[in-house]
Amino acid sequence: MKQQGKDLGLCLCSVCRQLNGSDDSHCGRCGSELHVRDYSSLQKSWALLITAAILLVPANLYPITVLTNQGKVRHDTIFSGIVHLVQSDMLPIAIIVFIASILVPWVKIIGLATYLCAISFNLPISKKKLMVGFHIIEWIGRWSMLDLFVISLTVALVNMGQLLDAKPAPAATAFALVILLTQLAAKVLDTRLLWDRLENQDDTN
Amino acid sequence: MHENTAENSVILCRSCDLAIRKRALPTGVRALCPRCNTALYDTPYCSVNGMLALCITALVFYFPANFFPVLEIHFLGSIRTTTVFQGAFAVFDQGYWVVGIAVLAAAVVGPGLLILSILTQLLIVKWGLDSPLGRHSLKQLLKFQGLLSQLTMLEIYVISFLVSSFQLSDFSDIYFGMGTFCFTMLFLVTLFLQREYDIEHMWGLLMQERH
Repeated sequence: MKQQGKDLGLCLCSVCRQLNGSDDSHCGRCGSELHVRDYSSLQKSWALLITAAILLVPANLYPITVLTNQGKVRHDTIFSGIVHLVQSDMLPIAIIVFIASILVPWVKIIGLATYLCAISFNLPISKKKLMVGFHIIEWIGRWSMLDLFVISLTVALVNMGQLLDAKPAPAATAFALVILLTQLAAKVLDTRLLWDRLENQDDTN
Repeated sequence: MHENTAENSVILCRSCDLAIRKRALPTGVRALCPRCNTALYDTPYCSVNGMLALCITALVFYFPANFFPVLEIHFLGSIRTTTVFQGAFAVFDQGYWVVGIAVLAAAVVGPGLLILSILTQLLIVKWGLDSPLGRHSLKQLLKFQGLLSQLTMLEIYVISFLVSSFQLSDFSDIYFGMGTFCFTMLFLVTLFLQREYDIEHMWGLLMQERH
């Protein structure tokens, strides 16, 4: 039996996951509004994702921290910070920061774009793989916050004027917004839309 | 509404809307959607008193974790310390309020609200299920539970202690403080609390007496 809830006249509440009839307007348990499918979520998700992709450019090009060390001022972008870590023999830390600040945002944006394209343009990509990718994106997305936590700790700790001083720089705001917008883009999307065009293709796909 | 049999034995996958017949599971096993591998449900194991104990422990660790120094820097004779709370406000003071709010929400406000929310839910379940006010508040709290647990990022903050201490050890001596220990304990206790907590079971407790 490969039947969807839509065909059985059933609908899951998106807030509390209670089963409701698809002709009900509000959930019988938590009172939230019910949608059998949320077609507008696709547009919302696209809008959030495109905004995030645009913000990713300033987040990577502008400096994210300004470090003053004994009178010398150094502007670090995300990438040059990692290069600096590698040069000072801290490869494991460099790998952690690279994954959290560069790999995760890019994978998230490219992955979500693939997912949304597959829904919008009916691309013949395996749905199972797409869904696995989506679960991974949902889970790793939060780890980008690592860089912001590190910046906040460093800025609070290192404030000794000309001797040693760390300050955040414009890319930090752009980076925070990239994280927020990509998380929202994944959250608002109604993933059931992907599985609706299953009937005219084979099941394993 | 629909026939009772369909109500009780069929569930829908929240990711792909597949209809699945619900079966009893052995303990420690989680049911996944056969089509898209989304986690569907696991066996409800949810001892209210155990969670209450974890909640109170988490609350005890919460204040020292956020207001005791987590990192200490020794640089050319001067010593500076910082707390998690100050960290969020330092970026705020520099004018980067978006970053400040993000850090504050994920590390201080999110975990605090999550613990308080679970504590209130447990107290209502234990003593307040008869009053309409208790039921109403429990319903509202359960609706926001998903958001709060997504907002809480304690595990990432623990890793960021490690990363920032290594980064700064390049030019100064770095020491961990009492706050680091409390924050790590807060993270562990919250982790176990969230493992024990089962939202479906809580909804069940809210609904069972109405019928």
